[in-house]
Amino acid sequence: MELTLLVLSLLVLLAAGVPVAFSLLSAALLTFWALGIPMVAVFQRVAAGMSVFTLMAIPFFIFAGDLMYRSGIAGRLVQLAEATLGRPRGGLGLVNVGASTMFGAVSGSAIASASAMGSTLMPLMKEKGYDGDYAVNVTVTAAVVGLLIPPSHNMIIYAASTGTGVSIGSLFLAGIVPGLITALMLMVVAYLVAVKRGYPKGHFPGWRAFARATVYAVPGLLSAVIIMGGILSGIFTATESSAIAVIYTMLIAAFVYRSLGFKGIYQSALQSVKITAMVLLIIGAATAFGYALAILEGPQKLAALITSISNEPIIIFLIVNIILLVLGTFMDMSPLIVITTPILLPVVAEAGMDPVHFGIVMMLNLGIGLVTPPVGSVLFVGSAVGKIAVEQAVKSIWPFYLALICALIIITYFPAVSLSLPNAFAN
Amino acid sequence: EARPTNILRSNDTHPYGYPTVEAVEELGRQLSRLTDGRLSVKVYAGGQLGSERDTLEITTFGGLDMNRVNLAPLNSIEKMTIVPSLPFLFRSQEHLRQAMDGAPGEVILNSLEPHGLIGLCFYDSGARSFYNTKQPINSPDDMKGMKIRVQNSDLYVSMIRALGADATPMSLGEVYQSLVQGVIDGAENNWPSYDSGRHYEAAPYYSLTGHVMAPEILVMSVARWEALKPSDREAVREAARLSVPYMRERWDKRVSASRVKLLAEGVQANEIPDLAPFVEAMRPVWNQFLTTEDQRQLVTQIEEMAP
Amino acid sequence: MTDRSLIESLSVVTRRGADLLLAIGAAGLILMTAIVGWQVFGRYVLNSSPSWSEQAALTLMIWYVSFGAAAGVREGFHIRIVAFEAALGPVRARYMRIFSDTVVGVCGLCMLIGGSILVSKTWSHVIPSLGIPRGLAYLGLPIAGALIILFALERVLETLAKRHLEDEEDPRWS
Ligand code: NA
Ligand code: NA
Repeated sequence: MELTLLVLSLLVLLAAGVPVAFSLLSAALLTFWALGIPMVAVFQRVAAGMSVFTLMAIPFFIFAGDLMYRSGIAGRLVQLAEATLGRPRGGLGLVNVGASTMFGAVSGSAIASASAMGSTLMPLMKEKGYDGDYAVNVTVTAAVVGLLIPPSHNMIIYAASTGTGVSIGSLFLAGIVPGLITALMLMVVAYLVAVKRGYPKGHFPGWRAFARATVYAVPGLLSAVIIMGGILSGIFTATESSAIAVIYTMLIAAFVYRSLGFKGIYQSALQSVKITAMVLLIIGAATAFGYALAILEGPQKLAALITSISNEPIIIFLIVNIILLVLGTFMDMSPLIVITTPILLPVVAEAGMDPVHFGIVMMLNLGIGLVTPPVGSVLFVGSAVGKIAVEQAVKSIWPFYLALICALIIITYFPAVSLSLPNAFAN
Repeated sequence: EARPTNILRSNDTHPYGYPTVEAVEELGRQLSRLTDGRLSVKVYAGGQLGSERDTLEITTFGGLDMNRVNLAPLNSIEKMTIVPSLPFLFRSQEHLRQAMDGAPGEVILNSLEPHGLIGLCFYDSGARSFYNTKQPINSPDDMKGMKIRVQNSDLYVSMIRALGADATPMSLGEVYQSLVQGVIDGAENNWPSYDSGRHYEAAPYYSLTGHVMAPEILVMSVARWEALKPSDREAVREAARLSVPYMRERWDKRVSASRVKLLAEGVQANEIPDLAPFVEAMRPVWNQFLTTEDQRQLVTQIEEMAP
Repeated sequence: MTDRSLIESLSVVTRRGADLLLAIGAAGLILMTAIVGWQVFGRYVLNSSPSWSEQAALTLMIWYVSFGAAAGVREGFHIRIVAFEAALGPVRARYMRIFSDTVVGVCGLCMLIGGSILVSKTWSHVIPSLGIPRGLAYLGLPIAGALIILFALERVLETLAKRHLEDEEDPRWS
């Protein structure tokens, strides 16, 4: 009863054009009221949901990316990328997928990856004649890859939720090949769409121009080295690296390129506040909504359906995938992992799926949920940074969804894709 | 009245199957038995509803009926809860259990009511010890300059600093990754948590300082408590009492199972040859955090208990 | 005072208010950057982690998001689905816009009330390592709630004063 109220009120308010954050908030307020839970609890969840240390990577990476764009650092990076990889049609789209994969690999956060890549690459893609929706589609779907390639804090949450018996090390190894397959699928789609839309074809500018582009891009390249090197060597965490990226960019912009004064920094901060306050309010409201969903045992009720439908492994895997996709559409990743793992793992294990394999399937499934409406924080970040309406981005995103779904099917039905690497290391 | 009056919603950040979660589930079974099925308990485990501090706040507002939390998040709400968290206060697990079952425990449970909470009972949390990625710790000197993760708690920060290490407050979810990367060198916890968080994979040196034995606590919201009729309140108290020995039995099994498992996985655990330097280094922390006469009396009362 | 001039003078006040909120938000974001940067510097260079930095940055985060989100109601930059509104035509879209802004205003009212209770109930809790009341971290919420009511009200009055809805440009990028 209350579950229907929660989901239905959300859908109605969204359709009525109420902003996403306030639709989620209203649905949560209504449901808490129906459940007799004091209203104050809603706002505790909202405040707690938007003040999570790891989420700070969103404003910082968006801020850093905007600074890079305004100061010209990003432009020089893209010139280099174009000179090296820009020859095929839609070269920047491929660059975006590759960069997101590397960045997401290191940061472990799809939303941080979308923030960073979106705010640096999207404006430049648009300048080069790419459509905004394409830029958003590529950026947000490529951000999902980072969830599969280690390190990934969601895998750690999964390992803890299984009880005992799944090693985080094995999960990390198991994610690598599926991550690369997913990235490859996305690259193929990015290329095909670019050809269909007739996006510019780059040409190799000659070694001299290439060398010049490389030199100009050094400070920008260095920022990538600092972020990735800093994280990998343990100087700072992924979240901290985002703040370091801001400080580094400010210093380079102010003292090396001298392209950005105090005013430019302030303008950039202002712009970042607009985008991130909006996104973080959505995340805060989604936390309150997710709390209501968890209290009402929404995920459990949906999962209870599986066992009643079939005991054929192929069908069970299919149903589990569908359930995770549907849930990921309404709720954020980490609470879903915590709630659904103890319910679904025994079911798929009974059908013969290895827990490590299931972890990878779950990561990709829930990752897809982050880029699908009505509630998809990565999609929202991407649209906000790309400055286009969510509907507009979603209208043309289906080939990219298709790529993700294909990858999901391969990963689900071919366990070796996930398991051969950890098995090789175990022996 | 839309709310199902018969289900008490209880939160736990430990995963399903953890002794505290099973204890509260047992409490629910006992409560159903005592009330002829009128009352039952539903545990939301694994932190699905939020962190301990957040859900504790919601419990004080009456948004959750029950909550099983560590004492640390209560330290900033009620000073009396600091006492059992003091380093090296308890001489043994027996001492802890006796104190928490007796008058001192009663005092702490009762101190929570002004904050909107009814203290129901204490569960064991074993002894917390240090684990790290570098080397076995034998004396505080071995910890000099080590970056040790602590909970977001002034008391824990002070304890680590007193040992000459660098206290790094960090949420639990970031610890594994930070150990792997080397952002931190170590952390501190009991055997089962060292196991369930899989931190031993990254930090295999476990040095048995046993510096803190702070128990876990089960609380109920005052709002929900007052909505119960007196006989049901008595039933809740009785069920809570019955859940404690049930929990302890499971806890002891869990501790030895985790220890056996982790030692087999290659964890290098070492006893501390001489604890005195640790005790001495951490003693100033007591004075810093014992600021009221009530706290000091409670300390004396606990210290004077038999075993 | 006519209806029109009331709306206009309200609009002057709210525009200044929204600008101020965003300016405070930007300052908050820059300060957050400095704090987290200092956290790394302290741990890695000084070998002593500041224990206050994470909580301080998180406290600022609640404030800056609340303020930025409130300004977003005035400026209309919150993400929403406009597909149905666009399909309905300008006359019926006007009613939808009024409905939507009213919902936002009611949310603001709840945020004012719920946020105030949250602040008062947690005022006696202390934020570890900062030593300030927990309620202070939450104080941004009821303030934002009050401003959201004002901003939503202004939008409703503005829409009521018009016959039908014209397309508004997205002010996020101006
Ligand atoms: Na990753
Ligand atoms: Na989604």
